[in-house]
Amino acid sequence: MRRVAAALAIVLACALAASAAPPAPAAKAATAPASPRPDSCVTCHLETGDDRLAGPAKAYTDDIHRAKGFGCTACHGGDPNAEGMEAMDPAKGYIGKPAGARIVQVCGRCHADARFMKQYNPSLRVDQVAEYESSVHGRRLRELKDPKVATCASCHAPHGIRPPSDALSTVHPLRVADTCGRCHADAKYMASYKIPTDQRDKYKKSVHWNAMSAKGDLSAPTCNDCHGNHGAAPPGVNWVGNVCGQCHTVMAELFGKSVHAKAFTQMGVPGCAACHDNHDIRPTGDHMVGATGDAVCASCHNPDDAGGKTATTMRGLLDALAGEWDKARGLLEKAEHAGMEVSQPQFELSSAKDALVKARAAIHAFTIEPVKAEVDGGLAIARKAHARGVRALEELRFRRTGLVVSVVIIVALIGGLLLKIRYLERPRAAGTKSS
Amino acid sequence: MADVLTRPDDPGRRRIVNWFLGTSAGAFLAAVLYPLTRYLVPPRTGESAAASVTLAIKPDEVKANSGQIFKFGSRPGILVRTASGELRAFSAVCTHLNCTVQYRADVSHIWCACHNGHFDLNGQNIAGPPPRPLEAYVVNVRGNQIVVSKSV
Repeated sequence: MRRVAAALAIVLACALAASAAPPAPAAKAATAPASPRPDSCVTCHLETGDDRLAGPAKAYTDDIHRAKGFGCTACHGGDPNAEGMEAMDPAKGYIGKPAGARIVQVCGRCHADARFMKQYNPSLRVDQVAEYESSVHGRRLRELKDPKVATCASCHAPHGIRPPSDALSTVHPLRVADTCGRCHADAKYMASYKIPTDQRDKYKKSVHWNAMSAKGDLSAPTCNDCHGNHGAAPPGVNWVGNVCGQCHTVMAELFGKSVHAKAFTQMGVPGCAACHDNHDIRPTGDHMVGATGDAVCASCHNPDDAGGKTATTMRGLLDALAGEWDKARGLLEKAEHAGMEVSQPQFELSSAKDALVKARAAIHAFTIEPVKAEVDGGLAIARKAHARGVRALEELRFRRTGLVVSVVIIVALIGGLLLKIRYLERPRAAGTKSS
Repeated sequence: MADVLTRPDDPGRRRIVNWFLGTSAGAFLAAVLYPLTRYLVPPRTGESAAASVTLAIKPDEVKANSGQIFKFGSRPGILVRTASGELRAFSAVCTHLNCTVQYRADVSHIWCACHNGHFDLNGQNIAGPPPRPLEAYVVNVRGNQIVVSKSV
């Protein structure tokens, strides 16, 4: 009964304090605490036996702030040395459970203070609050007082904050999509915003998610790499190329100088995403180029217009080099497996593959010349390698023919010897019989 | 005993001898034909099994802050001499889409021209799309020869 009464008292105090004045600046630790110390907050909260109150105290044992020596009062204020309800005295800076803008304010007291943060991690950014203010979340919170938008604690798991490099962190690269998806994939929660809620599911079909989750490349992009983390916002139509260009620099540069860059902007079409989609970015292929079938160019161009003809020519060039390279590679592989020494043409053929990859990148200039320049060079290398593969297989055939002829001769010789032996033995056997 | 030795026409003994002779002849034929068949139809092999290569390049020919492509089996490798004079070698096959990388003296990086991928001189992917580091090889200078081996 005493526990229930204590729990109710704490909840009531929290509710009262939440509507009270903002946390006193003095509540912020001026210097780093030496080590975590036991305080009355944890003791009482654990004693209540109520998961709503004990849960945060338990979760905080794994929090990076606790490891750095911060107790409950660093965020919630109050007096950890006082016992019972006195510990939660608003006069002692107690603010209860912060919500909305106050969460940003509480976190920002330390995280926006460069001098303070230097004590813990000199390279840590301190512009999260400023970034947040620029985000869609921050703007809606500030301008519309929207209580549903994400604040610091929505993504960083209050009381269980871990560094992003920790695999259990809610902001570890492999968990970011699910963290954002907790709201953005919830159709009911997002209904009032009238925006799609399939981004997470689409992203999990993309090459980027595959690179990260299946191939273990944690540098592959997730939500925050394109939208920003604290400054999360959709990239504007004009920005998309810049965003993708952070990694795909060659294609972004070619696209930026192309006829499509200006035309897409005028048409309100998002650059890269117009052909590659945004969240559901699938593996690319030569089938995307052309003016017919499932080619992406065909969604705007006809085979007979200038763009369609260019696309068709570029596709023809790519197919020619890809076909020639594949033919030469297959032939050299066959010769290698048959025991022929073809490492030199195989080594040289790698330059044809380089040319093919560069030609595929050159597509983003949307003119024939740069693609043709790469393809012509690659074709010459691939044809030379193919010719050497043909010679290697001819040599192999010659050797095998020679082997067969040699075997036939040896077998004939053995047969002849056997016949000769029988012939030599026959008269002696006859002579033995007659005698 | 003498009876056994003087019965050459015993059909039972002849069968045993013929069986031994037939088996021996069969084994002999198999021993000859099996390697012949394996030669004519060799097994499929993976990538080049080259584990070590002696380069045609002399140590003095590799200037500081420069790199050279060499043939390692059927694949390209890159030999780099750092600004401090150390020789290092890596697979020159970019981990993104298998293009051949090259050395860029202006930034002292290994660079892939296909998609602007950068690797530092430890082979670590540091910029652009390459997802993994380059495979590092072991470089040994023996007299006037450079020997590059796959690390064990």
